[in-house]
Amino acid sequence: MRRVITVSLNGNAFQLEDDAHAVLVAYLERANTSLAGNPDKDEIVADVEQAIGDKCARYLNAHKSVLGRTEIETVLAEMGPVDGDGGAAPAGAAAEAAPAGASVGPAAAAHRRLYQISDGALVSGVCNGLAAYFNVDVTLVRLGFVVLLFLSGGTILLVYLVLMFVVPYAETSEQRAAAHGLPFNARTLVERAKRSASDFANKGEWKRSREEWRDEWRRTRAEWRTEWRQTRADWRAHRPAWQSAAASPAPTIPPASRAPYAAHVLAGFVVAILGLILTALTLSWLIAIVSLVMTGAIVGWVLPFSVPIWLAIVALVLCYSLIAWPIKAVRHAIAYPGYGYRGPWVGLWDGIVGVAVIGVLFWFAYHHVPEFHDFVLHFRNLWENTISI
Amino acid sequence: MSFDPKFTPIRKGLLEFLVLRIVSGSTVYVADILKRLAGTEFATQEGTLYPLLSRLRREGLVDYEWQESGAGPPRKYYKLTASGRTQLTLLDEYWARLNKTMAEMGT
Repeated sequence: MRRVITVSLNGNAFQLEDDAHAVLVAYLERANTSLAGNPDKDEIVADVEQAIGDKCARYLNAHKSVLGRTEIETVLAEMGPVDGDGGAAPAGAAAEAAPAGASVGPAAAAHRRLYQISDGALVSGVCNGLAAYFNVDVTLVRLGFVVLLFLSGGTILLVYLVLMFVVPYAETSEQRAAAHGLPFNARTLVERAKRSASDFANKGEWKRSREEWRDEWRRTRAEWRTEWRQTRADWRAHRPAWQSAAASPAPTIPPASRAPYAAHVLAGFVVAILGLILTALTLSWLIAIVSLVMTGAIVGWVLPFSVPIWLAIVALVLCYSLIAWPIKAVRHAIAYPGYGYRGPWVGLWDGIVGVAVIGVLFWFAYHHVPEFHDFVLHFRNLWENTISI
Repeated sequence: MSFDPKFTPIRKGLLEFLVLRIVSGSTVYVADILKRLAGTEFATQEGTLYPLLSRLRREGLVDYEWQESGAGPPRKYYKLTASGRTQLTLLDEYWARLNKTMAEMGT
């Protein structure tokens, strides 16, 4: 006894045995993939379905109402693989000589993109995604991360955090295929589905709670990313305005392939780092103000006696805005190009220069302004005390 | 049928020309076109023909109309448009020139 699946081919019902159904689905998926980007895709698929239906009908009669796998395979062999370009560009001899098998098609040159992959992830899926992207074993990537963790003294952790927030998750099957640089087609889909099903079966109960926690965490970050996308959408909405303001003769549409993706990742990266710096600044500024008001001293560092508290507060506010302003400006320029977006590289460069300027200022003050030096030392003591508690 | 892969691009390029010629004769539907091509060097399958016809229609060279068939659902019958006819005339001339050149170059 076999299971029978009823399908509609361009509006007509056909009954297929389940393996015949799988073959047909795979064929139509390939057709859809190779027609991706064709403006008449839906119409061609409808025509193809109609033709398949016509061919299937000849196998059916009063005594036979269900189609088997061999019949479907015969029909599909008669149909031939759906040709994506409509014969527009004569393919080279090599391309034609290759068998028009399941995994070969126009999508074979699929884009490879960096995604986070949550299947089999330890923390978030960054290493997993990197491993897929560079086509190496995930254990190697994780080892590399641990080694770098020691070599860099923890800085790599920041990189990981940023990647975790910035790099999108491979959520659709197509994105998962792109993460591996694989063509997206039915066969790989089925393979992946089988793998994840067996993985799931092997997982014990003890892993569940951890997964639930991870899912929760994922959702939180998905919300973050949605906000981010909103920002980017705003930025895009502003874009035509400045383009026409600049009276550019022909507002060219950038090729919507890799560049925008890279731009988004870079912009997100810089915005995230600057956001962290700003948050740290704001926090320390708030702490300084509060402690100044409460104790008359900045975290225990007594003001030089002639300075009144109000002047110190004004000085703090000035200091804060002086330091925070360039960071905010850069961040703003990347997120909303009010005065003209100049590309992510310029934004990144601005960010680096900004951080470098702050670093130089800090170094100068530390070495040449004794009060600042004391202040920093005091902060360090405070930090150490906090830790020792 | 020749399966020398070297000839494949030639076949692919000429298929469009042949389809235009077939459609120019009378309004036809896809099964007719396939039948005409079957047994020639240009034997083709639906998987190739539907995308090709859809492109020719997009380029305004052919058009189709729905016609009821005796049995089964209505079918698309394709016919040549005016610009398709112009294109076909140009192609015919070009083909004649190519043939002439081929003949002249030969030994």
